[in-house]
Amino acid sequence: MQQAMKVTVKSWTGVATWRWIANDDNCGICRMPFDSCCPDCKLPGDDCPLVWGACSHCFHIHCIVKWLHSQPQQQCPMCRQDWKFNNK
Amino acid sequence: MAQNINPHYASSSNPAKQNEDTIKLNDNHAVSKRLQKELMELMRCSDKGISAFPESENLFKWIGTIHGPEDTVYAGHKYKLSLEFPNSYPYAPPVVKFVTPCFHPNVDTCGLICLDILKDKWTALYDIRTVLISIQSLLGEPNTLSPLNQQASYLWPNQPAYKKYLDEFYNKNKDS
Repeated sequence: MQQAMKVTVKSWTGVATWRWIANDDNCGICRMPFDSCCPDCKLPGDDCPLVWGACSHCFHIHCIVKWLHSQPQQQCPMCRQDWKFNNK
Repeated sequence: MAQNINPHYASSSNPAKQNEDTIKLNDNHAVSKRLQKELMELMRCSDKGISAFPESENLFKWIGTIHGPEDTVYAGHKYKLSLEFPNSYPYAPPVVKFVTPCFHPNVDTCGLICLDILKDKWTALYDIRTVLISIQSLLGEPNTLSPLNQQASYLWPNQPAYKKYLDEFYNKNKDS
């Protein structure tokens, strides 16, 4: 014979985890984990998102933008192809 | 998810970029953070024939050591180098110089090195380890077409004579 537990749920708190699906664990530019943020930010996630290039390489958006601003040519620091934001 | 938002909006939403002072302070902090990561990485897995460590408490100045590659005239030699990191590292390369005098076609008498990855071919993905490995392989594979040291470049094709001069030069200067 089965007995039901005598509990009443009065309130509950939802918990979720998230992570970026990238082909690497760390940003090659700042060396911080992708699931953490770039050294200039405090909060990971939408405040410090990842961005992919057409060449498929991926960086913290703040890191790659800083790199492109510092260079005369707009190239991926990984493969030196012309950098294009992958808008797909 | 906001993966590919326009960088223009992304950077304006970054509170760190609000005033000049914060940028400078933050940059310096970011550089220290990256250099600390590199130090941990170098201590965790040391490559054969290269090593590097901060000169003092100052993380922005390091001393590196390179062993001459085997099967080259530099085998058995050990060279000390200085590495200085700008506040814009890794967006700009470190300034790397030989401290131990080095007789080589692409190294001048002040220890300055002519190597493309330390200049226009630098990328933010390079680090202390890859820089030292590149300099180590430059020892055995000089670019004799754009020499800083004409005499070394001229002598290079004659390896026995080069080796003889190099060993004398090294033994005379290694402790200076």
